[in-house]
Amino acid sequence: MAGLELLSDQGYRLDGRKATELRKVQARMGVFAQADGSAYLEQGNTKALAVVYGPHEMRGSRSRTLHDRAVINCQYSMATFSTAERKRRPHGDRKSTEMSLHLKQTFEAAVMTQLYPRSQIDIYVKILQSDGGNYSVCVNAATLAVIDAGIPMRDYVCACTVGFVDETPLADLCYAEESGGVSSLALALLPRGGQIALLQMDARLHQDHLETLIEAAMTACKGVSKVLDEVVRQHLQEVSVLTGE
Amino acid sequence: MSQQQHNVLILHLKSCRGRKVRVVREHYLRERVPCYSSVCQADCVNDGKVLPGDLTHYVVPDVGVVVDYLEILEDRELQGVVFTQTACQAVQHSKGRRQYNRLRNLLKDPRHDCVLFANEFQEYSYCPREKGESQEKWQTRCVYSAAVWYYNHLAGMMDVVMITEDQEAVAQYSSLNSGVYVISVQDYLQNFWPQLQAAHDLYGSISQALQEKESEGNEREFSEHLPAEVLEAGIKSGRYIQGTLNVNKHRAQTEAFITMEDLSNKNTDMSCGVLVYGDKNRNRAMQGDMVVVELLPKSEWRGKVTALTEGQGDEKSGEDESKPLPTGRVVGILQRHWRDYVVTFPPREGSQSQSRNSQRILAVPWDRRIPKIRISTQQADALQDHRVVVRIDSWESTSLYPNGHSVRVLGRAGELETEVQTILIENCIHVPPFSDAQVREDVCPSKTEPHIHVGQQLAERRDLRESHLVFSIDPKGCEDVDDTLSVRSLAGGKLLELGVHIADVTHFVTEGSLTDLEARTRATTYYLADRRYDMLPAVLSADLCSLLGGVDRYAMSVLWELDAHTLAVNKVWFGRTIIRSAYQLHYELAQAILNGEPTEVPELAQLGSEEKDTKLAQLTQALEMLTHVARHLRAQRDRGGALELEGVEVRAQLDEERNITALVPRQPLEVHETVAECMIYANHWVARKIQETFPHQALLRRHPPPRQEFFNLLVESAKARGFTIDTRSNKALADSLDQAVDPEDPLVNRLLRMMTTQAMSEALYFSTGTQSIDQYYHYGLALDRYTHFTSPIRRYADIVVHRLLTVAIAMEGEVGPVKALASNKELEEMAQHINKKNRAAKRAQKLSTELFQCLYFKERDPQTDQRCVADAVIYSIRDDGMLVFVPEYGVKGPVYLKNREGQVVAAGHDGSCEWQSGSVRRYPDHITTASSCGSSTFRLFDHITVRISVHSTHCHADRINLEVISNRPYHSTEPQQPRSQGRCQLVQEVVRLAEEAHQQAQEKAARRPKLSREEREFCQSKTPNLYSLLEEIREEALRDLNMVPQVCFLLYK
Repeated sequence: MAGLELLSDQGYRLDGRKATELRKVQARMGVFAQADGSAYLEQGNTKALAVVYGPHEMRGSRSRTLHDRAVINCQYSMATFSTAERKRRPHGDRKSTEMSLHLKQTFEAAVMTQLYPRSQIDIYVKILQSDGGNYSVCVNAATLAVIDAGIPMRDYVCACTVGFVDETPLADLCYAEESGGVSSLALALLPRGGQIALLQMDARLHQDHLETLIEAAMTACKGVSKVLDEVVRQHLQEVSVLTGE
Repeated sequence: MSQQQHNVLILHLKSCRGRKVRVVREHYLRERVPCYSSVCQADCVNDGKVLPGDLTHYVVPDVGVVVDYLEILEDRELQGVVFTQTACQAVQHSKGRRQYNRLRNLLKDPRHDCVLFANEFQEYSYCPREKGESQEKWQTRCVYSAAVWYYNHLAGMMDVVMITEDQEAVAQYSSLNSGVYVISVQDYLQNFWPQLQAAHDLYGSISQALQEKESEGNEREFSEHLPAEVLEAGIKSGRYIQGTLNVNKHRAQTEAFITMEDLSNKNTDMSCGVLVYGDKNRNRAMQGDMVVVELLPKSEWRGKVTALTEGQGDEKSGEDESKPLPTGRVVGILQRHWRDYVVTFPPREGSQSQSRNSQRILAVPWDRRIPKIRISTQQADALQDHRVVVRIDSWESTSLYPNGHSVRVLGRAGELETEVQTILIENCIHVPPFSDAQVREDVCPSKTEPHIHVGQQLAERRDLRESHLVFSIDPKGCEDVDDTLSVRSLAGGKLLELGVHIADVTHFVTEGSLTDLEARTRATTYYLADRRYDMLPAVLSADLCSLLGGVDRYAMSVLWELDAHTLAVNKVWFGRTIIRSAYQLHYELAQAILNGEPTEVPELAQLGSEEKDTKLAQLTQALEMLTHVARHLRAQRDRGGALELEGVEVRAQLDEERNITALVPRQPLEVHETVAECMIYANHWVARKIQETFPHQALLRRHPPPRQEFFNLLVESAKARGFTIDTRSNKALADSLDQAVDPEDPLVNRLLRMMTTQAMSEALYFSTGTQSIDQYYHYGLALDRYTHFTSPIRRYADIVVHRLLTVAIAMEGEVGPVKALASNKELEEMAQHINKKNRAAKRAQKLSTELFQCLYFKERDPQTDQRCVADAVIYSIRDDGMLVFVPEYGVKGPVYLKNREGQVVAAGHDGSCEWQSGSVRRYPDHITTASSCGSSTFRLFDHITVRISVHSTHCHADRINLEVISNRPYHSTEPQQPRSQGRCQLVQEVVRLAEEAHQQAQEKAARRPKLSREEREFCQSKTPNLYSLLEEIREEALRDLNMVPQVCFLLYK
């Protein structure tokens, strides 16, 4: 019935942000010592943990080996406590499988796989708390983890969701907005070149609006990339201080 | 991302589907939240409305005040109101979307001095809810902290008053801060606004209503409404049906129907709606509410009553019911449709029977479909027999009647002024006089100085003053000329250039200005039987915009270049121009010139005879060319299937003081059609232009094809006379109507056309983005796209179209930045608003006509006065009577053949009728009464004689009552002028009415000299422009069910 007013006349969203403002992003790299690379990222109330192994020899079925580049293997899962109602199955359901596939596609576009023929890179991402924008948070966390693992990438891959309300694009939707019937679009971007690694939208949207929406998503992604860059630099500084002595 | 942001997490416990769920939300705060005050020292980004700095204080209402007393805050006199976000959210939560939208509109409206402060997003004014704190306490604390923030933010330059109804809050907060006062609403009004009597009264009546609500008994009269989630789930699963409640006007107590919006996917037996029988099943729903119904088991379904019971014989209903309809009961109300209602306070003896001490009065609404409203007031005695505007507050399940409070007193029932105001209020028409600010804002320099500065505008406009012979053709005495024409031949006679030049209102009325806002709210000029309320102030409508003869005026022009022989369009040019109308002709004069009759054109009176002849020849040639083109255009549309409904037009004859002295029939001159045709053509081309430029956001007008089942009555009736009506397409319909002529009785054709008119659906404005292209069709005009462009002075839609066209032209010229247009959504909202207002205008006009009809007959004694006896034609048969049409007065109404005592009408040998005991039988095309003196039959389209009297009721509008006195046609003893096609009667009736109206007003004025001043105040113009009035009637005729068939071509409209 009375739908929530997602964007007030004054231009405020439910949680007090303006249309183009992102949620607060906080991240840490190198959270686990055992893995080759790892990162933890919070975007508002959505929290994700990403771990990277590799590049290493192909495991499991050797038939999947590619002779000119590395295979990227992604697995997405959600903690059972990540949502308001406890989840029964942390991974392997249809949604998670799809999400894994999307992640795989995203990183195949970004990681320079041709440097590692006949090898495999594993990326595992777990959502610890879910509050909208799961895909983009996973991508952002995984980017940091890949960087932490020292695997060369063409650029950061930054992702962000955008929704369309009252002819205005809203950046970085939270759960309340996502579930409020907004047509949302997820976009992963290589910000420096402006190449799109992945674009996904399930909702209906008039094609006239698509361009403005993509535009807004790209701006938001560039915003995210700035934050990630800062995190990486910070991390490097810390590490170099430790090793430099 | 942004630097001034601070992140807070809050935890909510929220139950959803009964289970407790923990919801985690973020809440972002910022330091810079605009304060919207002009005394702000901190450089807030205040765009939009700003509170003035010259006030003594700002007032911050508490949540409870905003929720309960919003009406008082709506008063425009109250300035400097700061609404808090907390309060707005509370309104949205507790009062629903409608009330919330009202608040939002209030905030948007630049005429109200109030702003919204997003206090919950401001870092320092936000206070998180503490553990164990009740919601009310927390809200009050939030509002107080917002008030304190305001005081500090404005550096103590402005005192802030917080008003609350919570006495504890007053005690708790009033002494905490020096510049922030916390007082109750009553104290506030008394101390700061002692002169605002209206606000005080309103406060009194609302607070009394609130008190009464608390002290209500707990005996249950109705079943409770189901909670919203259950309703929603029920609608989705198909268990419940959602729709709008429509109460049957004649059986308001018992019958109501639910009309569904989407008929397409429902099964067919629901298509005619769901019946809700009795007030227990209706369960407190009222006319227009959006309700949810549950179907009753089939065994309890009932039929619709078709007998002509006028609320007298409810017992009868069981006997002759048609086939049972789906019947249901209301289980919940999604959206109330409460508006202001006019009620009449009962006289003293009525009120005494009710509980005397509690001062509660049951007032009877003017609208019969609305139940009685309980009002608590101290003024019950003073208000006896007065009509009062009330608002409904609530309707609990423990109460038989809704509770309301009074808002404004209109006056004593039965007085002309009161009745007219009643009509306006009942149709939600608010026409306050134009405020000073609006008049000031208008470009209105003193009278001596020319209004139009040609020089500045010359660069942007095409100058047609020298090159084109521009003239206007309007009714005699017309003041607001919005359209002029021109025609000339080019290229040595090979080409023709036709031009339509429309007053450029948008040049003077800029978007968003006060005048524009007022015009948008009004949406149209309202024409009542005796007065009119203009959409634009008189300075604009009668002077600046009006394309008068001999002066320079700005115009919006459409120029077509036509092939002189085939009349095919070569080129169309749209643009802004400067014109000087050379001749201000009226229809008769133009026709006389065309016919070559010797005439005196006033503009040429001063000239020498030779010059005069050349000029006259020029003009004659132009008019001939115009007629030629118009004929061609008409023929073109006729081939497409344009409908023409027979009509009559009347013209007002004005004396020197511009009062109506008489209405004379407008001779159906060809020149009328010529002008109309050019206007239709211009509208059509403009529609094409804007639709092509803005495929998703152009304002067009569509006329959907009527639903075939509405033609049933027409087809059946025509069959009774042996005519067949083909309703498959508009062309077939037009052709078959042309053939359905009874040579002996011209009225038959008129009545058939009248029924066709009833079957028509309503023409509507819409935004092109909301409909698919095949829905744009205009059925009546047989055009694929149509809009309104030619009367910007009296219709807001035209102003919108003018703006669209201006932007379209600008876009053509350069690709540069163009002013942002209204989006599809906004435009559609606007279209809905204009449609709504148009409907209200029609209804008000019809009601006022009826009011004057009643006043006319009220003065006469039906038994003795010859004028109360008239000829009538039967046009529909019902179970115990028939519906007749009285051509002489244009009155339609029921005639009963059976009265309450069970007696029936029996016709004697000479045709005279009397009441005798007997029975009535109904057949498809006739009705027979049988009594001791034999039987008498009344057939469809028979002429009978009726006596007209007025049935006066205390609380409602008076009604015309028709009684059959003979089953023969009535032949007046007075010598009648030859009645060609029955037109004169109608004209006479209008003449009589207009005269009567005038007389009435004068009589009233003579009796009470005081009133005349008020009257002058209300009548914004002493010169009702009857031309425009009748044009409105034409449009009206398209859709109104009971309207007098003053139909003309339905086109043009």
